[in-house]
Amino acid sequence: MAGLELLSDQGYRLDGRKATELRKVQARMGVFAQADGSAYLEQGNTKALAVVYGPHEMRGSRSRALHDRAVINCQYSMATFSTAERKRRPHGDRKSTEMSLHLKQTFEAAVMTQLFPRSQIDIYVKILQSDGGNYSVCVNAATLAVIDAGIPMRDYVCACTVGFVDETPLADLCYAEESGGVSSLALALLPRGGQIALVQMDARLHQDHLETLIEAAMTACKSVSKVLDEVVRQHLQEASVLSRE
Amino acid sequence: MIKTEKVLHLKSSRGRKVRVVREHYLRERVPCFSALCQAGCENDGKVLPGDLTHYVVPDAEVVLNYLEVLELVELQGVVFTQTACQALHSKGRRFYNRLRNLLKDPRHDCVLFANEFQEFSYCPREKGESQEKWQTRCVYAAAVWYYNHLAGMMNLVMITEDLDAVSRFSSLNSGVYVIGVQEYLQSFWPALQAAQDLYGSVRQALQEKEADGSQREFPEHLPAQVLEAGIKSGRFVQGTLNVSKHRAQNEAFVTSDGLSSKSPDLSAGVLVEGSKSRNRAVHGDLVAVELLPKAEWRGKVTALSEGPADERSGDDETKPMPTGRVVGILQRNWRDYVVTFPPRDAAQAQSRAAQRVLAVPWDRRIPKVRISTQQADALQDHRVVVRIDSWPSTSLYPNGHSVRVLGRAGELETEVQTVLIENCIHVPPFSEAQLREMPVNSPEKPWAADPAEAAARRDLRQTHLVFSIDPQGCEDVDDTLSVRRLAGGKLLELGVHIADVTHFVREGSLTDLEARSRATTYYLADRRYDMLPAVLSADLCSLLGGVDRYAMSVMWELDAQSLAVTKVWFGRTLIRSSYQLHYELAQALLNGEEAQVPELARLDPEERDAKLSELIQALETLTHIARHLRAQRDRGGALELEGVEVRAQLDQDKNITALVPRQPLEVHETVAECMIYANHWVARKIQEAFPYQALLRRHPPPRQELFSQLVDTARAAGFSIDTRTNKALADSLDRAVDPEDPLVNRLLRMMATQAMSQALYFSTGAQPEDQFYHYGLALDRYTHFTSPIRRYADMVVHRLLTAALQLERGAEPGKPPAGNKDMEELAEHINSRNRAAQRAQNLSTGLFQCLFFKERDPETDPRCVADAIIYSIRDNGVLVFIPEYGVKGPVYMRNKEGLVVAAGPDSTCEWQSGSVRRHSDHITTMSGRGSATFRLFDHITVRISVLSTNCHADTLTLQVISNQPHLGAAPQRPGSPRRSQLVQEVVRLAGEAQEKAARRPELSKEEREFRQSRTPNLYSLLEEIRELALMDPDAAARAGTVMA
Repeated sequence: MAGLELLSDQGYRLDGRKATELRKVQARMGVFAQADGSAYLEQGNTKALAVVYGPHEMRGSRSRALHDRAVINCQYSMATFSTAERKRRPHGDRKSTEMSLHLKQTFEAAVMTQLFPRSQIDIYVKILQSDGGNYSVCVNAATLAVIDAGIPMRDYVCACTVGFVDETPLADLCYAEESGGVSSLALALLPRGGQIALVQMDARLHQDHLETLIEAAMTACKSVSKVLDEVVRQHLQEASVLSRE
Repeated sequence: MIKTEKVLHLKSSRGRKVRVVREHYLRERVPCFSALCQAGCENDGKVLPGDLTHYVVPDAEVVLNYLEVLELVELQGVVFTQTACQALHSKGRRFYNRLRNLLKDPRHDCVLFANEFQEFSYCPREKGESQEKWQTRCVYAAAVWYYNHLAGMMNLVMITEDLDAVSRFSSLNSGVYVIGVQEYLQSFWPALQAAQDLYGSVRQALQEKEADGSQREFPEHLPAQVLEAGIKSGRFVQGTLNVSKHRAQNEAFVTSDGLSSKSPDLSAGVLVEGSKSRNRAVHGDLVAVELLPKAEWRGKVTALSEGPADERSGDDETKPMPTGRVVGILQRNWRDYVVTFPPRDAAQAQSRAAQRVLAVPWDRRIPKVRISTQQADALQDHRVVVRIDSWPSTSLYPNGHSVRVLGRAGELETEVQTVLIENCIHVPPFSEAQLREMPVNSPEKPWAADPAEAAARRDLRQTHLVFSIDPQGCEDVDDTLSVRRLAGGKLLELGVHIADVTHFVREGSLTDLEARSRATTYYLADRRYDMLPAVLSADLCSLLGGVDRYAMSVMWELDAQSLAVTKVWFGRTLIRSSYQLHYELAQALLNGEEAQVPELARLDPEERDAKLSELIQALETLTHIARHLRAQRDRGGALELEGVEVRAQLDQDKNITALVPRQPLEVHETVAECMIYANHWVARKIQEAFPYQALLRRHPPPRQELFSQLVDTARAAGFSIDTRTNKALADSLDRAVDPEDPLVNRLLRMMATQAMSQALYFSTGAQPEDQFYHYGLALDRYTHFTSPIRRYADMVVHRLLTAALQLERGAEPGKPPAGNKDMEELAEHINSRNRAAQRAQNLSTGLFQCLFFKERDPETDPRCVADAIIYSIRDNGVLVFIPEYGVKGPVYMRNKEGLVVAAGPDSTCEWQSGSVRRHSDHITTMSGRGSATFRLFDHITVRISVLSTNCHADTLTLQVISNQPHLGAAPQRPGSPRRSQLVQEVVRLAGEAQEKAARRPELSKEEREFRQSRTPNLYSLLEEIRELALMDPDAAARAGTVMA
């Protein structure tokens, strides 16, 4: 018996948001000096750190190199203290491998890899605190890190999850909502052209509702992109002020 | 606008304590839902009026414990806080849903304020603060915010049970008062005694609960997760608990639709025996049962029982069936119950235990309820509405509290109210606001058709001869007919015009909501509760003669020769009915008899003759068409089921002076046939327009095994009944006629009816198309369209048809019709209301029968002796039917002391010691006076007496006094001398009622009568409602309208 009422009759969600409202997004770029690019992003209580190295020469086996574009190497991990119960999370478990793969696919679609043949770009993302929407937070953080590294991209990649409750799409689910039995969909979008980089959903949903759900996800992604854009501009301004001095 | 804030929660999952951090967003603008709002809140939906003296904000604890008090409609301006709402949510879904329904109900003046999402009314919980304290603080902060938000224009009263809070908060703010619940009710609603009583009884029940705590009487229920897992794995079976009516103490069954599919073993349900294994489940609860090992399985008891004290023996049982015990309750289905307070002796009255009373529910299937009350003495022998609060495992009986006192047991008004409440029928008088929505039609301000509206409708006033045929004295005429020749006689045009109720009742209006919740007009034996206010049902919607009325019409163009349909037209029309005929008059006109048509009385003879011949011509054409339609359906296998329809004759004061069974005239069938045809065509139309959300009516084919009794009984009488299809059944029933005794055929038809399943409303999206079939009428699609004045389903169909016509015209329908899910929900609601209406009607009929016989002494009064016919044989007795009174019941061949019925040489029967042997078609008693045999379809004489019980409904008991037919019941019983006697006894007699035993013409000569007492409204309605309801619904409904 699912106890929680995810969307009240007055249209409020558990944490007081309305159906289309996102969680508060805060981000900072260039948090580490050692890496080529880095970013820290909070979306509500989900916090992620993304670091980018490259493009650089292929490391390890050279046979994986592609002759016409760069290889993107993604690694996703969660901190042991990221959830309510402390849990050791070894690298390479199923969930994080899958997540790494999704991230890789997302960024292959967004980064202009053909500019860097025979080279490699590494993207490392770590979840510091998890409160739902891990994939989308990772994508958003990684986008900022890639921009910080100065790697050309077609567009920002913005991601957002949406859930479907009572015939209403809910944007940007938190953990309580995700675990409350909502069928959720994660979507990564290149907002300017409206191209979808990745859609992922593993719950049951009636076909008729899919369109509204994707529509809602795209709107949410576009609002995320506005926030990211602001962060980038702010960062640029700060950086230029610093360099002028 | 949004600020993020964090709250800490301590939460345990899988038993472990976990610290969880959740976000909490606050905003400045949270709608306040008050008409006084100055800040421009987005208040859509229900809004609290500004003209109240105060708004009341109940504390979380008050909402938790006294929601019932707050549910009273009289309490206005209630602001529920989100804090309280969430506290209720943690108590249980059932309570929360109650609050949700309350908030949605437009008749109720209350709103929800999301105080925890408002920036200024939110207070974070402090370290070490208890939850209750924090909730009280939140609610108070909300009240203060509300007061400031409305700029001090409205005083706020916060009610709480926490006396500490009263002293702490009451002096902090000037416009916000904090007081206790009792004080609040006393000072603000002194006139509302009901609220104070209710408060008192709930409070006492709560105190009792705290004081409780002794040893366990029942095993604990398993936790919900275990149950859920068990049901999934198949270890437990889930279903609804049905307590057996006759053995409420011991026998109960758990049945569910899903059972049969899983294993054929369980299709008949699971037996739950004894109160220990029932484990506190109450009739109607959704429970999980665990099956016992096969060795412990028991069978049902088939012997006729004489009350709960009946001893039981092993050989009365059928073969063992799955038996189980209840391990958990998934959902309680408690409703309001009527109980009777027992009489008590004076010695007891002073003790403390005297405050706790075991009250006996009216429904035998419900266990006794323990009620603690101060008024136990005052309420002796009163019927009281109670609610069950809880049933802890330490108690043998559930705890409850009283809600409302109905009155002394045995009084007519009390009993009728009991019948209503036991069937969850709630029919308050129409409220002021609802009546304000109604159009006015008074002598000063007569209602007239709106010219704009009239222009949009097809005007049939000049072109068509429209007339209605109804029972005499009918007020709510919802159907009229017209017929005319077109194209030089090559075509016929048949029209059915139905009152356009939906024109007056807009969807979503208060009247509509009320009609929806009533779903039907309720007919009891002595009164009627209308679905719509009288101004509509008896006046503006009623298609009375000689006045302009709006109608919804279906018109067919038929080929004059073959009567094939060439064209159908649906639409809104404006009509003026020329004649308001009644059945007898119409039949007389058809038969060419001299008859006075009141509408023509004042015309000169020449004109009258012309008009009369025109009318007769129309009636004849109509009859011709109806015969054809009937034949068409007969070929498809339509059933003619037995039903006695009783008609009440009214005098000027609307008192019923006589009950006359409706004589089966052909014109009845003609009208019914036209209505069925209209219903059928409308069903086709709306199903085509809305394939997934049309409201239709289906009658599923009966289960074959239910026919076994019918087939066996018929075989005993020498007939074979083929039940494979409806056509075969109809044909074989027609053949099964005993020329000696016409009652045999009637009984067989009655039994066939009993085997039938109920016809149901449904939404077309919820059933596969092959399930749409109407078995009884032999139509592939059927719905109800012709009686919108007294059935809500018809109003829904009218709206669907309107929407379908709009779609056809290419216009966007104003409001899309409800989706499949909503429609199915609505259909379920209407079905359940219809069942309740039917049960209430049955119960009230039984009630009046009992009152009738209670007045007379069974030993001396000749009316208590009647002729009965045996229609079923049981182990220790037979079931009989008394045609004179339409009563069915058991007759025992062996009584509790083991004595059996012995028939003497003069065929009188008395109790003697002996034995009973049961055979398939007869039952034999052996005694000192020799043996007596009772065969199926034998006529015997029985004496009717009333078995009075204090707590339950009275029942009629039948006792055999002779194994020969009752002579007095024969047709030769003189009618007229009796009548003159009656006239002499004017003081005692309200009138005289006649009952004609059968619908066959040759039997209609039988005239019987019985007396009625003078008490107001006291008369007996002798009819078989169950059969009546299963007849064609329209015809049945027509009989119903007469009872007005």
